[in-house]
Amino acid sequence: MAEPYLRVEKLVKRFGPFTALGGVDLEVYPGEVHALLGDNGAGKSTLIKTLAGVHEPTEGQIYIEGKPVQFRSPRDASAAGIGTVYQDLALNQLMSVTRNFFMGRELKKSFGQLDLDKMNQIAHDEMLKIGIDFSDPTQAVGTMSGGQRQTLAIARAIHFGAKVLILDEPTSALGQKQQMGVLKTIKRVRKRGDIAIIFITHNEIHSRLVGDRFSFLALGKVIGAGTSDEISDKEMRRLMSGGAEMGDLEQELAAI
Amino acid sequence: MADLSEADRLAQETWLQRTIRRPEIGSFIVMVVIVVVLTWASSGKAFNALGLKNNVQIIAQYGIIAIGAALLMIAGEFDLSIGSMIGFAGMSMAIMLKWGLPFGLGEATPLTALLITMAMTLTLGWIIGNIVVKSGLSSFIVTLAFLFFMRGVTEVSFRLINQSTQVSGLPDYKEESWVAWVFGGEVFGWFYDAWFWIGMRFVDMGFERTDQWFTLGGNINRRGTQWVEGFDARFLWFILIALAAYFILSRTQLGNWIYATGDNKEAARANGVPTNKVKIGLFMFTAFCATIFAACQVFENNTSDAAKGNLMELFAIAIAVVGGTLMTGGFGSVLGVVFGAITVGLVANAVFFIPAIDGAWFRVFLGAILLAAVFANERIRKRITGGI
Ligand SMILES: Nc1ncnc2c1ncn2[C@@H]1O[C@H](COP(=O)(O)OP(=O)(O)O)[C@@H](O)[C@H]1O
Ligand SMILES: [Mg+2]
Repeated sequence: MAEPYLRVEKLVKRFGPFTALGGVDLEVYPGEVHALLGDNGAGKSTLIKTLAGVHEPTEGQIYIEGKPVQFRSPRDASAAGIGTVYQDLALNQLMSVTRNFFMGRELKKSFGQLDLDKMNQIAHDEMLKIGIDFSDPTQAVGTMSGGQRQTLAIARAIHFGAKVLILDEPTSALGQKQQMGVLKTIKRVRKRGDIAIIFITHNEIHSRLVGDRFSFLALGKVIGAGTSDEISDKEMRRLMSGGAEMGDLEQELAAI
Repeated sequence: MADLSEADRLAQETWLQRTIRRPEIGSFIVMVVIVVVLTWASSGKAFNALGLKNNVQIIAQYGIIAIGAALLMIAGEFDLSIGSMIGFAGMSMAIMLKWGLPFGLGEATPLTALLITMAMTLTLGWIIGNIVVKSGLSSFIVTLAFLFFMRGVTEVSFRLINQSTQVSGLPDYKEESWVAWVFGGEVFGWFYDAWFWIGMRFVDMGFERTDQWFTLGGNINRRGTQWVEGFDARFLWFILIALAAYFILSRTQLGNWIYATGDNKEAARANGVPTNKVKIGLFMFTAFCATIFAACQVFENNTSDAAKGNLMELFAIAIAVVGGTLMTGGFGSVLGVVFGAITVGLVANAVFFIPAIDGAWFRVFLGAILLAAVFANERIRKRITGGI
């Protein structure tokens, strides 16, 4: 097995007296989808915010390609190849696809003049690579569907050098058909082989469809991890419900 | 590819549909209607040689400050201090020209008066911008404070230094100072020369000078009394500011940052756009526009008074909105604002060409199209954002 691109060791994050992450281990490999599952409040967002440089870890260490790293800001993390696509996607609805794609990192000719032809071309090509053929990149993002916006945000992260793509619940706010579109996009990115994907979800079906490796988080701890072969559907359901046996839950419910 | 058809749903527009969907189309149509109605109602007088000059004067005045206000609104902020900034800048230049430079630095020239004033107004713009971005307060309230503050400072300064709220009888600097001439002189004289030349050819062809052509603007029948040499220099400033703003907004990185800042500030910041710097810079730009406005006034008439620029901030914002700028930021176009300035300027002046109407109708009209524009802009926003 190749070396993980990103490795996290005994990561602890405390907010004052509250321990949001209590010693998390995680490995993500290029060309793999690592599904991160867990109930609301389990600590998934806190974990990725620490990876993205938003929070500094209280204890523990992050390694990129085996080398220990410290992120002081989101800029540091993105320079190290960590591209985060947050739930709100950081897109501007009134602006065109191209202008959003290059927001803050515009291509310039002389006098700060935008190289719009080249920008349109790149935005179009990068989105085509992962699945949508957007014939008019001058169209406003507000006119795009939720799934297309996800694709735009993902294409943007990849174009600007993401080696680890972190997707925070990319399917949760979408309709059925668009959820499938996003899963397809994830598969296409995976197929490139050079990008590691962390896919956060609490939908076990979605994680099963695209995941190569799974980590289950509950109350700030990893309560189970393994590859898709190692984890059975039954085991998955048990871990998804925070480690409780389904039978126990049925009994509890029946007792009410 | 299942997504293909969905992505292309919006792409199948003809050139005509695209033009009709442009955000400037509303203000363009209103402008054309006004031009036609005004031409007809004034029997062409609104666009004869002198009429055109007068109309361009007010259009350029409105346009200069409306473009500053519009850029700032696109970035998501307001500036209610524009009018007071005009008064302050005019006072500052006129007092320096009359009473000399501050701190006993001697006589002022138009250049030094302008530079020192510009330095002060840009600093004020910088201060306003910093207060807004650092405090997180609404720019509406911060600039409202500066509206009162600076109008008061202007009046007090006039009384203390000048003993009167008016400076008049300054020498005509245009004769010897190119700076004064650049702001207060006349430009595009060739336009009227060409007009005259064409008129003469008609005379050669046997037309009478009293023919309709000449009342319409042959610029020839009035020779000796109201001969027009050119447009006010502010017309050139309006054109320069409009071109620069158009280029920056639609073609540069800074333009992308202005839109991004006004649309969704957090998203812009997450992508590395320096939103605070953008806003501060634009508060300085409105101060710059106000100072240009004031310089043109001072050097054209060689006077200034404490009431100059009164209410101009509201006209600037109204014209920006009539031109299609969204009150909520993130959207607008310089071309639309130019159409808006032409429309509002023509109606403001209409009373001079159609003496039968009451001048107060101008405000009735402005209120009505402002309201119509707000609704139209909101529809455009909903269309773009898919109704959210
Ligand atoms: N900045 C913060 N300060 C204090 N507590 C926080 C902060 N961020 C998250 N938490 C807490 O950490 C826990 C994990 O939250 P989060 O990582 O958002 O969970 P998830 O994304 O898995 O639903 C929650 O109990 C939440 O209240
Ligand atoms: Mg979360």
